[in-house]
Amino acid sequence: MGQLAEKNQSLWLLTGSPVIWAGHFMLSYITASIWCAKLAGPDKSLWEVRVAILVYTALALAGIGFIGSIAYRKHSHGHAALPHDADTPEDRHRFLGFATLLLSGLSGVAVIYSALVVVFIGSCH
Amino acid sequence: MIASLSQARDFVALCDPLARRRADNARRLRTVRYPAWLIVLTTALLVPGCGGVQSALSPAGREAGRIADLFWWMTGGAIIVWLAVIGLTIYAARVQSEARNHRRDRFLIIGGGVLVPTVVLTVLLLYGLAPIPALLAPAPEGSLKIVVSGEQWWWRVRYLPPGGQPLEMANEIRLPVGEPVQFQLESPDVIHSFWIPSLAGKMDMIPGRVTYLALQPAKTGVYRGACAEYCGTSHAMMNFYVEVMEKEDFSRWLAQQAQPSQPPAETIAARGQELFLTNGCNACHTVRGTPARGVIGPDLTHVGSRLSIAAGTLPNEPDDFQRWIAHTTEVKPAVLMPAFYMLPPEDLRALATYLEGLK
Amino acid sequence: MTTDPHPLGPAKDVEPLTEAPPAEVQRAQEERLLRAWKMPTGWRYWSAVNNTEVGLWYTVMTLFFLLFGGVLALLMRIQLAKPNNDFLSAELYNQVFTVHGSVMMFLFAIPIFEAIAVIFLPQMLGARDLPFPRLSAFGFWCFLLGGVFLCGSIFFDAAPRGGWFMYPPLTSTYQPGIGADIWLLGFSFIEVAAIAAAVEMIVGALKCRPPGMRINLIPLYAWYVLVAAAMILFAFPPLIAGSMLLEIERAFGWPFFDATRGGDPLLWQHLFWLFGHPEVYIIFLPSVALIAMIVPTFARRPIAGYSWIVLAAVGTGFLSFGLWVHHMFTTGLPGISLGLFSAASQAVAIPTGVQIFCFIATLAAGRVVRSVPMLFAFGSLVIFVLGGLTGVMVAVAPFNFQAHDSFFIVGHFHYVLIGGALFPIFAGCYYYFPLINGKKLSDRLGKIAFWLTFIGFNIAFLPMHLTGLRGMPRRVFTYPSGLGFDTLNLISTIGAFILAAGVAVIFWDLLRPKGKQPYSERNPWGAGTLEWLQEMPGKPWGVRSIPEIDSRYPLWDQSNFMRDYDEGRFYLPDAEEGERETIVTSVVDAQPEQCQRLPGPTFITLFAALATGGFFIFGTYHLWWLAFISLALAICVILYWLWTGTAIIPEKDEKEAGLGLKLPLYVSGSSSVGWWAMFITMLADLTAFVSLVFGYFFFWTIHTDFPPDPSPGPGIFWPAAALVLLLGAWALTIFARRWNKRDWAASTYAGLLFAAALAIGGGTALLAGPWVTGLDPASDVYPATVWILVLWTAAHVAVGLIMQLYCVARRLAGRMSARYDIDISNVALYWHFVAITVVITVAVIAGFPLVA
Repeated sequence: MGQLAEKNQSLWLLTGSPVIWAGHFMLSYITASIWCAKLAGPDKSLWEVRVAILVYTALALAGIGFIGSIAYRKHSHGHAALPHDADTPEDRHRFLGFATLLLSGLSGVAVIYSALVVVFIGSCH
Repeated sequence: MIASLSQARDFVALCDPLARRRADNARRLRTVRYPAWLIVLTTALLVPGCGGVQSALSPAGREAGRIADLFWWMTGGAIIVWLAVIGLTIYAARVQSEARNHRRDRFLIIGGGVLVPTVVLTVLLLYGLAPIPALLAPAPEGSLKIVVSGEQWWWRVRYLPPGGQPLEMANEIRLPVGEPVQFQLESPDVIHSFWIPSLAGKMDMIPGRVTYLALQPAKTGVYRGACAEYCGTSHAMMNFYVEVMEKEDFSRWLAQQAQPSQPPAETIAARGQELFLTNGCNACHTVRGTPARGVIGPDLTHVGSRLSIAAGTLPNEPDDFQRWIAHTTEVKPAVLMPAFYMLPPEDLRALATYLEGLK
Repeated sequence: MTTDPHPLGPAKDVEPLTEAPPAEVQRAQEERLLRAWKMPTGWRYWSAVNNTEVGLWYTVMTLFFLLFGGVLALLMRIQLAKPNNDFLSAELYNQVFTVHGSVMMFLFAIPIFEAIAVIFLPQMLGARDLPFPRLSAFGFWCFLLGGVFLCGSIFFDAAPRGGWFMYPPLTSTYQPGIGADIWLLGFSFIEVAAIAAAVEMIVGALKCRPPGMRINLIPLYAWYVLVAAAMILFAFPPLIAGSMLLEIERAFGWPFFDATRGGDPLLWQHLFWLFGHPEVYIIFLPSVALIAMIVPTFARRPIAGYSWIVLAAVGTGFLSFGLWVHHMFTTGLPGISLGLFSAASQAVAIPTGVQIFCFIATLAAGRVVRSVPMLFAFGSLVIFVLGGLTGVMVAVAPFNFQAHDSFFIVGHFHYVLIGGALFPIFAGCYYYFPLINGKKLSDRLGKIAFWLTFIGFNIAFLPMHLTGLRGMPRRVFTYPSGLGFDTLNLISTIGAFILAAGVAVIFWDLLRPKGKQPYSERNPWGAGTLEWLQEMPGKPWGVRSIPEIDSRYPLWDQSNFMRDYDEGRFYLPDAEEGERETIVTSVVDAQPEQCQRLPGPTFITLFAALATGGFFIFGTYHLWWLAFISLALAICVILYWLWTGTAIIPEKDEKEAGLGLKLPLYVSGSSSVGWWAMFITMLADLTAFVSLVFGYFFFWTIHTDFPPDPSPGPGIFWPAAALVLLLGAWALTIFARRWNKRDWAASTYAGLLFAAALAIGGGTALLAGPWVTGLDPASDVYPATVWILVLWTAAHVAVGLIMQLYCVARRLAGRMSARYDIDISNVALYWHFVAITVVITVAVIAGFPLVA
């Protein structure tokens, strides 16, 4: 019961994966913009940026995966199935886990979408 | 608890199987009409067609063609998805269930709400990203280069033919078919946007920046371009014609444009030239071959050869020239060129004849 | 947000009283409640702060602005009905389309969400009122002033005419005259009102719930509104920052957007769309929330996929901040940037679509009852899905190159806005009207209105997709014949008038006299959520007693729920001291933490809004002395408001709240709602500051010589001195808080006064930097940017100074003490944010030139 007590709960974890997506997105955009504005040579090649973004992507997916696994553990705590609409700390715990898991999935997809961009676009034009 | 008449009606309908079937049939007929008339409306709209000299849906250039293809595929997909979602909604509303069916809930939400959109959007993303490099790549080295500066509310055009002299003109573009051309776009005042829908997508012209648009016309003909970023009072009247010609015709036209203006042939035109130089027109306009060297307004050296005057606003006819010179601000509100309504009609006629003759 | 444990120990399920209190007791309770919550009458009516009154005013004004914007649209459609029309001159048309867009986006779409939330959020959460009633009232008066100002301008030919997104340099240099200033300063009001509303919604949804309503049980409307409110905190500030820069450029010539002096028009576009894109989701989410409340009622079953909808709301909220450059696809940015924003713009369609399938699943699993709200809900779905699909199309950058700034986009955004916001609002009108005055709207008129609006809308806006792709740009006051636009425009105009007829029917239904119509029965739709506990007509007390919740749909699931509620068998069934009270709970499990006393009617909020308004309005007209007098007056009124109305020391420590619960009446620190309000407001403030810092680094990115080398200013010495002094002021303020808690009076006073002195010194030192080095902000964008960062920080230090002196005065007057220390608690929090601002400002203006 200790881990379910309210003082150990927080809504911040819910926002963890989307925040990682946001960080990945901003870093990718800023890296690309500053590179193209200041550092790209006359051929405007982008392969350094593409490598950087792939690194950011790996880190982001790792972070999202980590949060997702915590969320999954929360969600599968005990035995109740969806919907988690009972007035108990267990169900509240499972609900928060499930919502966090879903958000991790969405954030992962969004991160991959951003990464796909660098597969296709290789110059600053 | 039955709390209102409509609830009572529904309750009765649920209890009586015959009434229910009748109600279902009526509902089915009614619900089929919702998407049906929308389809009819859409089809009816397509009857007028998609063509036009300013239409992105009758492409005459390589870039516009690629984008139009993309559009048709996406529209087809969108119609299918819309019909599926609305159809599903109508079906869902008609279905009467007693027990909660978690499997069906999950199927709808995960299948319809997550899996299908993710797959479709991924495919669309790849399909949509693929043309970007080609659309944004500059034209090959040695292509015809044209610098266009958008100014409230006209187009300053400078041709930079490869290995040739820069050539200043205004408010019209002519291009050789099948050849890539690189536009360099600028603005000294506010943000404008350079858009020839039949040939390519648009590109903004932003003060303090230089932007580029590369395109390749594919079909000869006359097309119309427009300013596509609100730029002030007469934004609606900042347009231009684009003529795509065979290569030999284009070279001939370019050579002709490079010539200075011919001296006026008849007396009226000569009088017009004199008026042009003495009424201050030369302060803003250039006519090569005369002392007029103003750069504030459009170059008028070959204005008589253009398809329109006042930046796509009026046809190129003597009456229109007269109307324009005498009533600039009525034709194009807030335009910077003053109106010369104080000139007597014969003078206006002479000016018009002179300018008409600058072919 | 972690919270302190429940004072009584771990949560346990609480049952209502097993026996009703005797009838005389109930009657006496009701009488006391009625007296405490009495609505003021006569001219004093306008001093009300109760959410029912303030919400009603908000709703009436926003619906009026909807009509105003709609009439402007009809004028535009008349002008565009045929080619080369002369119904409206170019000048007037440009004002009309600008004001139409601005009114609809700023005076209707956002405020209507505020209005609906102000009325209904407390009722949905079983609370008696919002946590900050006077803040809502202040927000409303600001909104009213700003709206009247903006709409009035068109009658004086002084309306803005730069389009609703006001791109410079057109609006900075090429449109002298008062219009753009009216837009900028008028919208400052609206922005203030929006942030006030955001504070209310976040604190209301998280802290003012009925006991037992754990986070997995809250109504979906609360989730959506929470997300939208959090989005406001991060979306509106970039616009506030940008508006400030644009107004300063217009008034003083500081060249933020002037390319001839180093500025860049694109900075405005980034700041505006950083606001503008999340804005449309801030409009959409609370509206689709109405659908989420309506569908379960008429499907007669709980929502399917509650967690998925939470995913949809939170996911959309986050992803929507990664879309803004899709409004700038044609500005010449590199393809990789376009690709990133194209990818995010498509990703956002996933959460948007998930919630629609949740509604479909709910319908499939239920037995749908036909009704006018459901009709509008269907209409909204049909229209919104089409708009969403064209949205995915324009998210694909290559297609955007053709569709951008054409009527295709006009078609797209009207589909998503009218389908995603207006139709749900009409559904909400028909659904929730009984809660406003106890009577239902007419089914017959509702059906007629639906068909007129639905058919009219589609006839008006579907053709626009084709019109745009046939080459018609937007914002054109006329077009020539022969391009294929003529018939399509005429059809659109006819459709617009049919739509207008439908809207007129709705307004008639809303406004027609209903004196003879009988009251509706209680809970007429048989819904399951708390707002339907209201009697018909409603009583001013909001809720009769604050219930203990066990389910998402208490009216369906909890036995004898309405009876227990009516008989006062729950919490706070009484107002023994004649005060307005509600319960404040913890965030996750809604365990009661405090009995919050709420203020009654007052005119202070109106005066504060007028004084603040005076500052903005006189500033617009460059009447500087009057503007500063108004500002001083506003500060005085607000200080008076705070002094008399906040952090009031209660007559006793704890109160019996019913069912054996004893709750404190005064809570300070991070559990108190006031602290939350300060924290939330400062998050928004910090975002505006970060937007200004973004401007600095934006100029660094696009220029090779920004900062210029060698740097002309502000140097190292003065900024470093300012840093030391201001961090000292901050540290002393924190210590003073600690000393106050230990009741060391002398140390507290000394600490605060020294802190104040350091604040004055530090602020002066900060201003000295650019002053002494002779940076002229009108000469080039580098000095202008440095000055704006310095002025922003100095202004915040000045406010912090006033706060420190306020704390001294409060302690001297005995209104603050070691135990009762809300004031200094919140001031210390404020100073944390000031410290962050100072550190960043100094690092940027003094440190960055060294490394660049």
